[in-house]
Amino acid sequence: MPRIPLGDWVNEAVDWLLDHVAWLFDFLKTVFTGTYDGINAVLQAPEPLLLVGIFAVIAFWLRGTLAGVLTFLGFAFIVSMELWENAMITLALVLVATIIALVVAVPVGIWAARSDRVSGIVRPVLDFMQTLPAMIYLIPAILFFGTGASAGIVATLIFALAPGVRMTELGIRQVDKELVEAAEAFGTSPRNTLLRVQLPLALPTVMAGVNQVIMLGLSMAAIAGMVGTGGLGGDVNEAIGQLNVGLGSESGVAIVILAIYLDRMTSALGTQVSPLGRRAAAKARSTGGLKIWSYRPRPQVAVIGVVILALVAGGMGMFGGSGDTESVADGKNVGQGKKITLGYVPWDEGVASTFLWKEILEQRGYEAEAKQFDAGPLYTSLAQGDIDVVTNSWLPTTHEQYWKKYGDRLDDLGSWYDETSLELTVPAYMKDVNTLADLKGKADLFNGRITGIESSAGEMALLKSKVMGAYGLQDEYKVVDSSTPAMLAELKRAMSKKEPIVVTLWSPHWAYNDYDLKKLKDPKGAWGEGDGVHLLSRKGFAADDPTAARWMKDFKLTEKQLTSLEAEINKSGKGKQQEAVRTWLKANPGVVDKLAPVEGGSGATPAEAKRPLDVAWFPWEEDVAVTYLWKNVLERRGYKLNLKQMDVGPVYTGLATGDLDLNFDAWLPHAQKNYWDKHKNNLTDLGTWYEPTSLEIAVPSYVKDVKSLADLKGKADLFDGKIIGIEPGTGQMQLVKNDVMPAYGLQDEYEVVDGSTPAMLAELKRALAKKEPIAVTLWSPHWAYSEYELTKLKDPKKSFGANNTIHTISSKAFPEQYPQLTEWIKNFRMSEDELGTLEAEIKDRGQGHEEEAVAAWLEEHPGMVGRMTPQ
Amino acid sequence: MSARLEAENLYKVFGRKQDQAVERLRQGTDRKELHAGGTTAAVIDASFTVEPGEIFVVMGLSGSGKSTLLRMLNGLLEPTAGHVRFGGEDLTEISGRRLREVRSRKISMVFQHFALFPHRSVRDNAAYGLEVQGVPRAERERRADEALALCGLAGWEKSWPDELSGGMQQRVGLARALATDADLLLMDESFSALDPLIRRDMQDQLIELQKTLKKTIVFITHDLNEAMRLGDRIAVMRDGRIVQIGTAQDILIRPANEYVASFTQDVDRSRVLTAGAVMETELRGDEADCACETATPATPFTELCAISTRVPHPVAVLDGDGDLVGVVPSRRLIGFLGDERGEAGTCDSPRDKGGEKVMSRA
Repeated sequence: MPRIPLGDWVNEAVDWLLDHVAWLFDFLKTVFTGTYDGINAVLQAPEPLLLVGIFAVIAFWLRGTLAGVLTFLGFAFIVSMELWENAMITLALVLVATIIALVVAVPVGIWAARSDRVSGIVRPVLDFMQTLPAMIYLIPAILFFGTGASAGIVATLIFALAPGVRMTELGIRQVDKELVEAAEAFGTSPRNTLLRVQLPLALPTVMAGVNQVIMLGLSMAAIAGMVGTGGLGGDVNEAIGQLNVGLGSESGVAIVILAIYLDRMTSALGTQVSPLGRRAAAKARSTGGLKIWSYRPRPQVAVIGVVILALVAGGMGMFGGSGDTESVADGKNVGQGKKITLGYVPWDEGVASTFLWKEILEQRGYEAEAKQFDAGPLYTSLAQGDIDVVTNSWLPTTHEQYWKKYGDRLDDLGSWYDETSLELTVPAYMKDVNTLADLKGKADLFNGRITGIESSAGEMALLKSKVMGAYGLQDEYKVVDSSTPAMLAELKRAMSKKEPIVVTLWSPHWAYNDYDLKKLKDPKGAWGEGDGVHLLSRKGFAADDPTAARWMKDFKLTEKQLTSLEAEINKSGKGKQQEAVRTWLKANPGVVDKLAPVEGGSGATPAEAKRPLDVAWFPWEEDVAVTYLWKNVLERRGYKLNLKQMDVGPVYTGLATGDLDLNFDAWLPHAQKNYWDKHKNNLTDLGTWYEPTSLEIAVPSYVKDVKSLADLKGKADLFDGKIIGIEPGTGQMQLVKNDVMPAYGLQDEYEVVDGSTPAMLAELKRALAKKEPIAVTLWSPHWAYSEYELTKLKDPKKSFGANNTIHTISSKAFPEQYPQLTEWIKNFRMSEDELGTLEAEIKDRGQGHEEEAVAAWLEEHPGMVGRMTPQ
Repeated sequence: MSARLEAENLYKVFGRKQDQAVERLRQGTDRKELHAGGTTAAVIDASFTVEPGEIFVVMGLSGSGKSTLLRMLNGLLEPTAGHVRFGGEDLTEISGRRLREVRSRKISMVFQHFALFPHRSVRDNAAYGLEVQGVPRAERERRADEALALCGLAGWEKSWPDELSGGMQQRVGLARALATDADLLLMDESFSALDPLIRRDMQDQLIELQKTLKKTIVFITHDLNEAMRLGDRIAVMRDGRIVQIGTAQDILIRPANEYVASFTQDVDRSRVLTAGAVMETELRGDEADCACETATPATPFTELCAISTRVPHPVAVLDGDGDLVGVVPSRRLIGFLGDERGEAGTCDSPRDKGGEKVMSRA
């Protein structure tokens, strides 16, 4: 049997297409991304709950009261899971794919219905499209369309096209032949026969097809997430990659809610648009009588409802934009009369920093406005873009809940003041209680109570989950949820009676001035680092005003500066804050120039930073760590990074096509050898930043007598003759099968099971839970080693060969585009300890808090920024 | 005002090598032989003329090619060979656009299963042909309502087809066909799907309408009774060929072959035959010279029987001028009912002698 080189032909065909019809793909890409951006912008613009309301009104109109209520609840649930933005990305993706699928599918379906020959050709093509595994066309999709939305749309489109065509064809063919004949017998033209008879009668079936297109599109969402499309698919992928069943199910449920909504709405729409459906519905209603749950408003009412909500949504989006230009001519007029609104919570440091910035910005030709808010509204307004900047955000603990809710619509410009702390506090007269450890055994004294504040506060969560446990207090004491004023009242009451009391408090706080209190020491560091006072901006502020954003990013105040400024403001009294700032500035000359440099010399953004960097990352611990580290550091240097989570194959393809710029996690020369060899002509290796990696086979530590690979021999029964592998075709798997197994004579005893990394990890977890013996292919660094007790099997024959190192790879053109950055990256190194602590920090903070984790880690490693990006 | 419809040597062959098949059929090849070769001859060498205002019925069993023949008359099917001429135009020669124009203005059609558009109201269904013609809404609704009223559906204009009974639905189908004021009405087994009683109603109504409208109608049916009730002339089809064309009585009395004869066996002759068809024309000349009741050639068979029982001798048949044209002995009436033309035999029993005497007179 001669070898038929189908693969070669396909490769040649792909190359040919790339060389000769790139213009077509570019055109399609423009269409896809244009449509997607448009729809996404509309869906992302309004306040989530308003959009939820709009969706609910649509459901109310199409299906009745119950559907409306359920829609609102379901979508509000998505909002509450903080998956709304991603859900809307997915929705936009599916809508675009559906629209395009219908534009293609309906005409093709009509054509196929009218011609048996076309039908005969189309059918196998559809089968092909529907059954070909998605990953196979995802790679060419990236080659042709680049990563991101358009590749995702193409993948969805290919998969979802089939039912659209099939159902259209079926619908038209199903129309009674006699009806078509009747139309012809009365002299109807073929076009009118189609439009007036066939399509109206086929409509219910066609709408069922639309429904299927949407459902299949949604089911493709997860796979599309692999090519950096983002959305819920991205969440699902990330969760799978990290074995995070919780997050995975959250996004999964969100997809399901979206799917059910779209399914019910399209089927109801099908009834509404087809005359037959409308009649059937009217008939059903007339027999059912009037019921509140199935009551449906008239279309006018529904349209009015949607319009009102849309206007409110639009109006809220408008507030931020209304700025007038009133020039303050000056030699250092950077702002050119641009308006910047500063919001603040009326705490001392907030007032001080806000009015300091107001003064600085006005001196630089901006029109600055200071607005006072309560914490909640402050974050809401910032997230909506009504205000531009907030100077006193206490992160990561105190304002955690706001950050959680709005963090994705805010930019953290970094912490400018770090001397804060959280603590438990007792009155100074409690002589023998000085540290948290001293509380132990004294529950009787304090009545077993620790007086807390709002249960939602970050400090309370920290206290309950970490601090209590660290000092073994959880069994003795009960943390009483309360409120800040109640806690203070309780404190005051106890103080007046000289009773023992222990409360949660934080510094700085006026209570320390007013009462004689003692902060309990925390020798174990259970409270962690104190909050930093962060400067936040609305999303996009840095892009709108890079100069001001850079000033604010570099903003730092010392304790002395801050307290002296606060004192000055307190002295001047309310309403005269800005005068106080001016007085203070006179006493501290040079501060304005230091905080808002205009020369554009030192610390300025390199020219190359103007072009945003597309950085792809794998959902693997070390890559998350290093990618977010670089993001943090580079943004301090004025670069802008777009992070895209992707699978290995797509990353190499994307880099080779120049669609992506960087990836920090190339395991070379072995693990990712295949990809590297294929694309190396179009890639640049920027060198190794992490040396101590290794590939190995690992077993749980409780498998006592297996310490090296040689020990595996003769124990096939114990391990069921299996070594659990990862994705077939990866360098490690090739190595295990071709070199390692023969080296130790294991190939006859053991089978290396192909699978995937998540599957391997799941298998490992399962075996560990049951204390069963298991052998898996693993590599270092990997979180599994810190999470589980595993033994890396020794490899005395060195069959795994020299170890991989982690490289940074980039597109071919990168060194020319980013000479400065190339230099930095080439010199970049991380030690095992540095990477380990950073990974741990990120894992502790949890999903979605990577940036804070990196910021916190950098605080502990102050030299890092300078080391990575020397100036 | 109606025009004459002519069909000339129409052939319709389905399958491969159609022209060749027509040639072979002309040379007398059997239909079954062709069928074995994968070609189906649906209509073979059909020629007939339908005069203006005439109801021409094509009768045959299913598979005899009658529906195919009908569809060639308005060009829904293109004949493989032959010509259809209507109103001075050869429909097989004109362009598709012109053909649609002819269909929308001059020929309309009523279908077996009504073929009403379920997504249109009764009025919109009736107005469909006019809509295709491009008649303005107000006028086409007025004309549709008129047509509906004509078919006895006044007041149902706003209903939907699925709310109507079968008979009413077909009335809508008829109204739709009449609304365009087409000269030629093609009716494809239009009453076959209806209950027998409703079918009779519809037949009566069609006859009634035809008295005033005087359309040219080609009516397809597999029911000979219906054919004889409605048809001015009837064409009997078998295996794609027209085996006989004639009036109902022609077919009944002078079937062209065994097949037609076997067909006519089940027909209720008393409803079809008239005195003119059953009378004896060998006359002595004095049969009407009494004061007894007489008949005319158009007197229906049943009435003739009634007269015959009241008259002691054969009934004389007189034409419009009062001239004697024939006589009908009562034995002959019984013979026609039983489809028996032979002479009576003799009987040995003396009991029947008296009867013999009477018979010998006849």
